[in-house]
Amino acid sequence: MPYKSVPLDILVIEDQPGDFILIEDYLNEEQDIIKISRAVSYMEAENLLKSSTFDAILLDLSLPDEGNRETLTKNIVILSKNAPVIVLTVFADTGFGVKSLSLGISDYLLKDELNAVQLSKSIHYGIERKRIESQLRESENKYKNLFDSSPLPMWVLERCSSRILSVNDATVDLYGYSREEFLGMSIKELWAGTDEPETEIMDLIKRDGFFKLNISHRKKNGEIVHLKIQSNPIIFDGKEARVALANNITASLEAKQALKNSEQRFKALVQDGSDLLMILNFDGKLTYVSPSSKLVMGITSELLIKYNLFEFIHEDDLDQVKESITLLHSKKRVQIPSYRIKTSKNKWKWLETILTNLYDDSSVNGIVANSRDITEFVQQEKELLESLKRYNIVEKATSDTITDYDVQNDVMHYNEGMELMFGYTRDQISTKGSWWDDKVHPEDAERVKNKVDLVYKKGHGNLQVNYRFRCADGNYKYILDRTYLVTNEKGEPIRMIGSMQDITEIHNYIETIERHNDRLKDIAWTQSHVVRAPLSRIMGLIDSLENFEDMDDQAQLLSHILTSARELDGIIRTINSKTVESISQSRKC
Amino acid sequence: MLKVIIIDDDDIMVFLQRKLFQRCGLAKDPITFKVASAAIEFLKNEEINQHFLVLLDINMPEMNGWQFLDILKKMKISKNVYVIMATSSVDSYDKEKAGTFSNVIDFMEKPISIENCNRIKEYLFLKKIFTN
Repeated sequence: MPYKSVPLDILVIEDQPGDFILIEDYLNEEQDIIKISRAVSYMEAENLLKSSTFDAILLDLSLPDEGNRETLTKNIVILSKNAPVIVLTVFADTGFGVKSLSLGISDYLLKDELNAVQLSKSIHYGIERKRIESQLRESENKYKNLFDSSPLPMWVLERCSSRILSVNDATVDLYGYSREEFLGMSIKELWAGTDEPETEIMDLIKRDGFFKLNISHRKKNGEIVHLKIQSNPIIFDGKEARVALANNITASLEAKQALKNSEQRFKALVQDGSDLLMILNFDGKLTYVSPSSKLVMGITSELLIKYNLFEFIHEDDLDQVKESITLLHSKKRVQIPSYRIKTSKNKWKWLETILTNLYDDSSVNGIVANSRDITEFVQQEKELLESLKRYNIVEKATSDTITDYDVQNDVMHYNEGMELMFGYTRDQISTKGSWWDDKVHPEDAERVKNKVDLVYKKGHGNLQVNYRFRCADGNYKYILDRTYLVTNEKGEPIRMIGSMQDITEIHNYIETIERHNDRLKDIAWTQSHVVRAPLSRIMGLIDSLENFEDMDDQAQLLSHILTSARELDGIIRTINSKTVESISQSRKC
Repeated sequence: MLKVIIIDDDDIMVFLQRKLFQRCGLAKDPITFKVASAAIEFLKNEEINQHFLVLLDINMPEMNGWQFLDILKKMKISKNVYVIMATSSVDSYDKEKAGTFSNVIDFMEKPISIENCNRIKEYLFLKKIFTN
């Protein structure tokens, strides 16, 4: 037999010399190399077992110093250092022999039936079993260690009920539940959301076989964790169970989401933005063009990238652009002043570009040009400049006094008209609104104020008003004032810009003309009433002379005619002198 | 019987019109006033059934022709007073204004002619009174 050659070290605990010799014979018969030690009492056996190690122990239960067989058996098993203990007994003790199996012995043999083969077989069987048991225990310990001290959360759950049977430290750490709270809890209680297909997962748990899935769990404090779980079926304490290994992927998921957000932001900013983004080298060769080139230049990015940027730049601006790019050798960032770029329609657009040298960034490896279409802005600026120029010319050319009143800060500015037209010196002129109010003729002040108030109230529109304005010498000038009110977006008055036109001369003309009219009316009335009175009398008198020849008082009639003719003459002279007077008066004006 | 009244501040004109009225047979002895207010006073004391033909000058001192008409239209006797405006003015405004007074039956430019007098006599409603 193969195990014959294996050297054995056997302790025989037997006080009967006859029995010992018999056992020794049997052992030697079946075993080539064997060392047999003997103990005749429990005391001796204890000492031997403490001092040395044996491959197997043969124990006779009737020892002189230990009467209790059970205590004896237990003690020897404890002292055996995991060596198989084989109990030798007499027939009458068969009952205890069976019982002793549960106390940890590996076999029991009846002395009466003992033979060499049986003994050898029992010894070897015992040794082999102990070896396997020890391996198994070691493996179990290894597994237990692996489970308990794994840095990854692991748990065991019962397949039919999905109840948690065991958790490791990492699981306790992750969830915040104690081991006791976990035990008996269903795995479902950990599920966080509604997005997982519950029934499918329950099905997977119940079924045999490996599976893995991603799931969200809720921790005791309410926080959500995202896990990647691998689950294997095992038998745990005799139950069909699953051991699950969880990988916390919360941070990686969040990082992924952050990256996704960042990419979307980039896409929104670069690809869908209205700014034109390009990457080029120092010679103007393009390596990237954002899709907004279609919007800005009317040329698709796919087409534009085949060209050199310099080909599109207005020849008058090209040197300036090239100079700016050269500056990037020493500077990280350069702004190109506005320049013109050709569009697909052969029209020019104004761009403003910020250049950044990103050669040190391997993902870019070039100059980033960020351009904005400022055509409209440039156009407006031009128009504004022209309008300002025009305004300045008008202001200089006009003989009017220009007023510019800052309503909210009560500051009034005048052009030189205030000095030229009204004779005030710079020192006399105050920028307060009240200074101006004070110069308006008292009889006109209220009317002017009412008109201004009305314009404020309406919030818009022009104001045209006549009034008298006091000069530095105390005289009044007649003014035609045209004022325009500027309001903010809320409709509140901000500025009033106006022109004060001196209409004193016109006013005087009108007055003169009106006086002339009065005189002319006077003359006309005189002609129609006063002149015709004596004339009609004369006509009547002559008519009488003609028609009534027999009139006895012809002399009286003739005398009346003479009186009337004189009266008429006097009237005509008066008219003449009045007319002359009127003409000479108008010349004086 | 129709009484004829001449109101004019001009002596010569009154003299002429008086003569003309007599010659044409409009009135044997027209009553003449140099001042219009005096004519008002006169009319106040007249019989309510008495009819009057008034030749009225416009341009007069103290009370002019218009003022006279304003007072007349408020008087009881008013409906029996027929006024002919006589003016030396050739102002058409005066003629328009005269049309607004119901008492005014005609508007004549001075000097009053024989033709004017004959026209007055042709007014039917006056004819009736004249024949009386």
